[in-house]
Amino acid sequence: MTSGEINNSSKEIPMALELHKVGKTFQSDTGASVKALEDVNLLVHQGEFVTLLGATGCGKTTLLNLITGLDVANEGHLRLGEDLRFGDNIAHVFQHYTLFPWRTAASNVSFGLQMRGVRRAERQSRAVAMLTKVGLRGFENAYPHELSGGMRQRAAIAQALAIEPKLLLMDEPFGAVDDSTRTELQQMLTDLWQENQTTIIFVTHNIDEAIVLGSRVLVFRERPGKIACEFKIDLPRPRDRMNSEFTKLFIQIRTKLSGQLD
Amino acid sequence: MSRWLGCPTADSGGLECQASKVGSPLGWIVVPVVLLVIWQAAAQLLNQPWIFPPVTRVIGQLVHPLREHYASGSLLSNTFISLLRVLLGFLLAAVTGIGLGIAMGSIRIVRSSLEPIVEVLRPLCPIAWLPFAIAVFKRGTLPQLFGFGYTRTVFDQVQLGMVFVIFVGGFFPILTNTLDGVAGVRRNYLLLAQTLGAKRRQVFWYVYLPASMPMILTGLRQGLGLCWFVIIAAEMLPGAESGIGYLLIYASDNAAMDIVIASMLIVGGIGALLGLMMRKIMSGLVRWHGKEI
Repeated sequence: MTSGEINNSSKEIPMALELHKVGKTFQSDTGASVKALEDVNLLVHQGEFVTLLGATGCGKTTLLNLITGLDVANEGHLRLGEDLRFGDNIAHVFQHYTLFPWRTAASNVSFGLQMRGVRRAERQSRAVAMLTKVGLRGFENAYPHELSGGMRQRAAIAQALAIEPKLLLMDEPFGAVDDSTRTELQQMLTDLWQENQTTIIFVTHNIDEAIVLGSRVLVFRERPGKIACEFKIDLPRPRDRMNSEFTKLFIQIRTKLSGQLD
Repeated sequence: MSRWLGCPTADSGGLECQASKVGSPLGWIVVPVVLLVIWQAAAQLLNQPWIFPPVTRVIGQLVHPLREHYASGSLLSNTFISLLRVLLGFLLAAVTGIGLGIAMGSIRIVRSSLEPIVEVLRPLCPIAWLPFAIAVFKRGTLPQLFGFGYTRTVFDQVQLGMVFVIFVGGFFPILTNTLDGVAGVRRNYLLLAQTLGAKRRQVFWYVYLPASMPMILTGLRQGLGLCWFVIIAAEMLPGAESGIGYLLIYASDNAAMDIVIASMLIVGGIGALLGLMMRKIMSGLVRWHGKEI
């Protein structure tokens, strides 16, 4: 919207991710090809909180997989910030199966540290600190099945943040929790982001969530997935859903989304 | 969702079944006592103890487990020999079955090259291997294998052929359960581990192994049960000289039906005990099983 500001900031803040004319086509078993993504252009700067908004099946997850390297683009090119590496400082929080069921909360949080050869005592103390940060103090020894849905997502976020990621990818992480828990989790994530300034790319199909969290909302068009438009969100945090600016944005984005259906 | 490991259905019994209570006094006291009373009365009416001995005579045998029977040893010594054979064969089956199962479950080429052989050998009754095993191992025993010759210990009773047959009995359930467990590990857990920085070998130790642990333990439980089955059958065949199965058939040849039934009760009791022990270990090790999110 305010393109002038974006240009200015790009000179000062290093970029975290750049996609140029990225496209992805899947071959189905029957031989038919399905275009999942087309001509996606995106520039994300370090420290940004970008939300990707769109209907389920519009290629948002495919886009995340391209970023993490789980999948490869057919067209265009994708560039990660210089110091970003998959399996090192890019973390991924999923909607389901976010924790290892055979590990306790603390042991789940310290998984990444264990893989990096961090000693047990330090792992444990860092896991406890991380769990405290996400409001799970006292649940160190609980197994995932003993936690509620919201608590599991808190633990999953702690697990991802424990590796001190420079880029945090989140694929509808709050999609399976109830509304009030979702609001709490959004608040917690905002706080953590403001504290660490980690770059976050957050996928959601919930308009409200996209506006509450993002410093930018990218609206996806379906089949093939493509960024239809972008909204810069300048509202102060914590964001008030009753604010007239908020509702104006909500209606604008909603109109944009439903316009696609016609 | 609770069965995501793809548990084989009816035959496995699954870990879920352990939830059923085993402490009911009806099943443990009332029904057995009623049956024993009927048995005692029937045996006394019939009065042909070489066919149908009264409970009291069977109990008389059970309370003297060290009594020597003919030249074949006591109830206890023979039970101990059978257990020793089973333990060795089972350990061998566990190590090879789990190792090969993990390899087959996680490496495609290993699976595709070995699966046909496994599928053909698996349905074969382990006892069918006995003639072959005796031909190969002759009367070789464990101490002889390691060059100790005749040691005058119980280990001289551990014939390699027997151990081999027990190994075959335990190997396939352990292998196939491990294989299914490893092949059924959710892709998401592998992805999650990778994004958190796990290297190939770490994924193996920290994801494949714990994720398939419930199935591996199910395999071990089934395997141990089958080993115990197989040893009794193998010891009853000609050529055996010791073991509770041998004592059973020997006593039968001597019309000592009280010893036969005492042996049967011991075999059943130990089988139940082994199963119970494995369940305890399982439920302690994989508290999370059937509850994953």
